[in-house]
Amino acid sequence: MPDAVAPPTATSALPGLAAGAAPSIALDHVSKWFGDVVAVSDLSFGVAAGVTGLLGPNGAGKSTVLKMIAGLVAPSNGRVTLLGHSARGNPSVYRRVGLAPEQEQLFPYLSGREFLRFNAILQKLPRPDDATARALALVDMADVADRKLGGYSKGMRQRIKVAAALVHDPEIVLMDEPLNGTDPVQRAGLIGLIRRLGDEGKTVVVSSHVLSEVERFAGNILVIVNGKLAAAGDYHAIRDRMDEHPHTVRIRTDDPRRLAAALIAEPATRSVRLAGDGAVEAETADVRAFARAVPALARWSGIRVREVTPLDESLGAVFAYLTEDHRG
Amino acid sequence: MASVVWRAAPIVTQTVRQFSGGRTLRLVWALSLLPAIFAAIYLLRPGDVSPTEFLTTTYQELIVPTLLPIAVLLLATAAFGNELDDRTLLYLTLKPVSRLRIVLGKFVGTLLVGLPAVLVGLVATALVTSIGSGLTGAGGDWGAMQPVLLAMLGSAAAGTALIAAVFLAVSLIVPRALLVGIIYIFIWESLLGRFLPGIRNLSIRHYMLSIFSGLTDSPLAAFSGATPLREALITVAAVCVVAIAVATLRLRSMQLS
Repeated sequence: MPDAVAPPTATSALPGLAAGAAPSIALDHVSKWFGDVVAVSDLSFGVAAGVTGLLGPNGAGKSTVLKMIAGLVAPSNGRVTLLGHSARGNPSVYRRVGLAPEQEQLFPYLSGREFLRFNAILQKLPRPDDATARALALVDMADVADRKLGGYSKGMRQRIKVAAALVHDPEIVLMDEPLNGTDPVQRAGLIGLIRRLGDEGKTVVVSSHVLSEVERFAGNILVIVNGKLAAAGDYHAIRDRMDEHPHTVRIRTDDPRRLAAALIAEPATRSVRLAGDGAVEAETADVRAFARAVPALARWSGIRVREVTPLDESLGAVFAYLTEDHRG
Repeated sequence: MASVVWRAAPIVTQTVRQFSGGRTLRLVWALSLLPAIFAAIYLLRPGDVSPTEFLTTTYQELIVPTLLPIAVLLLATAAFGNELDDRTLLYLTLKPVSRLRIVLGKFVGTLLVGLPAVLVGLVATALVTSIGSGLTGAGGDWGAMQPVLLAMLGSAAAGTALIAAVFLAVSLIVPRALLVGIIYIFIWESLLGRFLPGIRNLSIRHYMLSIFSGLTDSPLAAFSGATPLREALITVAAVCVVAIAVATLRLRSMQLS
């Protein structure tokens, strides 16, 4: 490999990497801009074996980051290394990397089996038919393998893209929003597959804008907001930080005044206000305790609760919180 | 059999499959067979024009400057262009395959799809002209036409390779390569290349006609200022090599964002 570079020595200094862990992927002060638009700004992190969730709202720069890791896009500044090498200008590294891109388009004139076989042949595998059968089994698509890709549903296209990324059994797997457009069964299957890949010791990076989704497969997450790293590390530690942030909950009831009075006495409640239209809006710093308290209070007070809606549980609010925290 | 072909030349096979049965290929065949329709119309009123003369003029004035370049242009700009448009090119580039091999695969695939249409179109035109004129008593002579036809086939094959190589590279460099190519064909090849001597020597048309002239003794193919056959063939080969090198370098440096 002509442009081999030594992996970063101070690995523990890279965000997202446990102390002493060797990074399979390293980004060192990476920025990327397209004309006047800054897509990624001074991003540094490392990714080691296991599943890492790349989390962020739409337009945060996740896809650009994955494309830079895969060598499809050159960073405007900084350095991206994959197994100690830059992927750009170094096609041999693709023997060890698989990417399932976000875009849905495939070769509509090929069947699923032909598409995987084509990928296996280009990967120079000695037995492309065996590799194809194995990849089809991984995504449970053997029964539809001979249908043309042009006739595949969105969920089927997602799975065949994942199969194409895995056909050569790579050490590093990059998946860009692989669960988009999948039904619950397909989703469960893909999540199980992602977890198995991590358990096998592969380095798997999966991007998503859905927090609850990432929780199901990634122990480690990188949160990207506005092209910057907002948080990195263990999922639960970051989630706990999110939970420290006050949440607002709207409760519709048949007696808002009584419910408000009852909620004020609850330790998990920070503030309460009458929101009109038979609703109460309460702020809490402990969502779990509050969620347990509301039904109990309602029963004890004889109040009927019609609807409970978290007002800022959206990723936007959570990310905004993380960003503020990050900047602070 | 199909699996052996896939393994031997995956990108060539993929390119052929990309065009098989598609609208682009139907258009290419229609453009290639159009002169045969003109030949049938010619047969209705041949006048003083001999069949070989008609065939040669059709080749020089219609096929070389317009129909063949457009037909090959459609394929050459789509070979990479379709994959750039729908962003599937990464399924080729994210592989441990050299960029040169990808470009060569696309080039050979384009030729395998384009050459049969171009060559069959020429043969069909010659057959209609010859057989039809024989039937109508216009003096069709298949034996006399054959050397001219063979020269046309050789010239058309060289022109197809040249246009394919150049516009494969162009399609990786400019976003609307088909439009650029059509403007080039109508302005440079068909208009300026016909009248301005300096430009004539820099046109694909000139080299195709020079090869045609060099491959036959027919006076109908001769023209003043023709480049000798050997030089014309070397020039075509050199331009193809340069175009493929440019496409390879471009593919290596381009960003698939």
